[in-house]
Amino acid sequence: MDILKVKDLTCGYDGREIIKEISFSVEEGGFLGIIGPNGAGKTTLFRAISGVLSSWNGNVFYKGKDVSGIRPCDLAREVAVIPQVLEIPFAFSVEEFILMGRFPHTGRFGALKEKDHEILEEVLHLTDTSSFCGRKITELSGGEIQRVILAQGFAQQPRLLLLDEPTSHLDIAHQIRILDLLKRLNKKKDLTIIVVLHDLNLAASYCDRLLLLDDGKVHKTGSPQEVLTYNIIEEVYKTVVVVEKNPVSSKPYVLLVSEEERQKRGSK
Amino acid sequence: MNKKQVWIFILLIVILCFSFILASLIGGSELKSAKAVYYLFHPGSYGIERDIIWQIRVPRIILGLLVGAGLAACGTVFQGVLRNPLAEPYTLGISGGAAFGVTLGVVLAVSGIYLPFLAFAGSAISMFVVYAIAARKQFSNPTLILGGVMLNFLFSSLVFLIFSVSRAEDVHGVILWLMGDLSSAQNLLIKIIPVFILPSLGLLLVFSRDLNILTLGEEKALHLGVNSEQVKKILFITASCITGACVACSGMIGFVGLVIPHFMRRIVGVDHRVLLPASCIAGAIFLILCDTLARTIIRPLELPVGVITGIFGGIFFLSFLMKSKRWKIF
Repeated sequence: MDILKVKDLTCGYDGREIIKEISFSVEEGGFLGIIGPNGAGKTTLFRAISGVLSSWNGNVFYKGKDVSGIRPCDLAREVAVIPQVLEIPFAFSVEEFILMGRFPHTGRFGALKEKDHEILEEVLHLTDTSSFCGRKITELSGGEIQRVILAQGFAQQPRLLLLDEPTSHLDIAHQIRILDLLKRLNKKKDLTIIVVLHDLNLAASYCDRLLLLDDGKVHKTGSPQEVLTYNIIEEVYKTVVVVEKNPVSSKPYVLLVSEEERQKRGSK
Repeated sequence: MNKKQVWIFILLIVILCFSFILASLIGGSELKSAKAVYYLFHPGSYGIERDIIWQIRVPRIILGLLVGAGLAACGTVFQGVLRNPLAEPYTLGISGGAAFGVTLGVVLAVSGIYLPFLAFAGSAISMFVVYAIAARKQFSNPTLILGGVMLNFLFSSLVFLIFSVSRAEDVHGVILWLMGDLSSAQNLLIKIIPVFILPSLGLLLVFSRDLNILTLGEEKALHLGVNSEQVKKILFITASCITGACVACSGMIGFVGLVIPHFMRRIVGVDHRVLLPASCIAGAIFLILCDTLARTIIRPLELPVGVITGIFGGIFFLSFLMKSKRWKIF
């Protein structure tokens, strides 16, 4: 069954159309990567799916229901959204911050119960953030905050997780750790994941399906092998690449070619 | 609430009671302290001292308590919702509108009884204007603050325009009022204002958990299940009502709304479920003590309390800011 279905979605800002009649759907338990060059509309599409930006035309359905008709509180119990940047002006403690993820479950007046604290422990462990306990969120580094935000998202216990560039501030070890974690939750707990990624190779290694955006339209969607071919990438990104097979995973691997190398090859 | 916070609350309430008693014992006319204490705890007795305490001072202290609590709560809420350390009734233009209403009333020789209503009307107008501007821009925070500051400029220019074309005797009263003044406590306002302020404070408290989440920004709040736009509207209107009521009966008392939340955030933390009530009590204490000082420092004359809050609040805040390297305002 499709957990999320986007139908003829058109939207944008201030009269400027950014997303143009996009349709796609994600199955329950899927792992979809949204890729595309800068300005292709990745984040706009992400915001439209997550309900922040209202659509001009077309609809987004979550489990068959139009998202615009679902109360935020009900949606937040099912869908967690991890934005690219989150400015946190107040010095909440890490625990306070993560427990905010329980808000849709406890509501305005509900007290936090034993279960909520168990969930806190679990997500601290999952995201490897236990050592941050007792610290203020404003004291953490960018990468540390990103993991804490992820922990908050997990605390919502969502069925669908939307992430916008979750690895942008992380070093390679944490990039792999976070994406491995997402993959594990995807496989074991059947958590559906939609992730916007810049890095084509990370996208190829972790996503079951890729959606390549170009100029607000879906250029191509399919398995990494189908989408990441050198002629598609060169057409969309307007740059020369070589696509090889990753010797470890046999997934496609995109190699960039510098100008110097291009000239060298060209002159030969 | 953890243990530390419970102790802070107990301490705050003790200080509040102490301030209340202190403020009722000293004032413009000197009373022998033993006698004053007797009359304070025997409100049923007769005598001029009893009347001074129970008919002049206590209503005024209660007004100070409510206004202090109200302004501090509004500051806390505005700073939280707008995620801006400068937000308070002043910077949002709400006080400016009230000032304009009263100035206009005085110059047009409107009877004194109606002035608070003009103040309330003025603040309501600015509230609606700021609100309308902000609503057109999806309540973006810079728009709200900028709109408010502009509106305040506009209104203060209009007030000065009226001053410049009217006679000095006419505007003297307004100038005192503009500086903040709790001496109007004896009339029927004291009966009206709690009806306005107390339920509104209760409503703000109900939404304090939402407010915590709103400080992460509207988008994240929406994703955590808070209907951002709706909650923001409720908080904004409620806080504006409190401000309107406060300004209407005490003039423009600055600084309480700006400074108290910053201090309390440092002391009790940023969770609004704790911060909001703590700020209320601290605001009440601060205003009661400042007003006591205003009544006694050059007695038998009185200073406008806004002058005292400005001077003390300002010095206290600045010195703290300079001394503490680690203190991040936000």
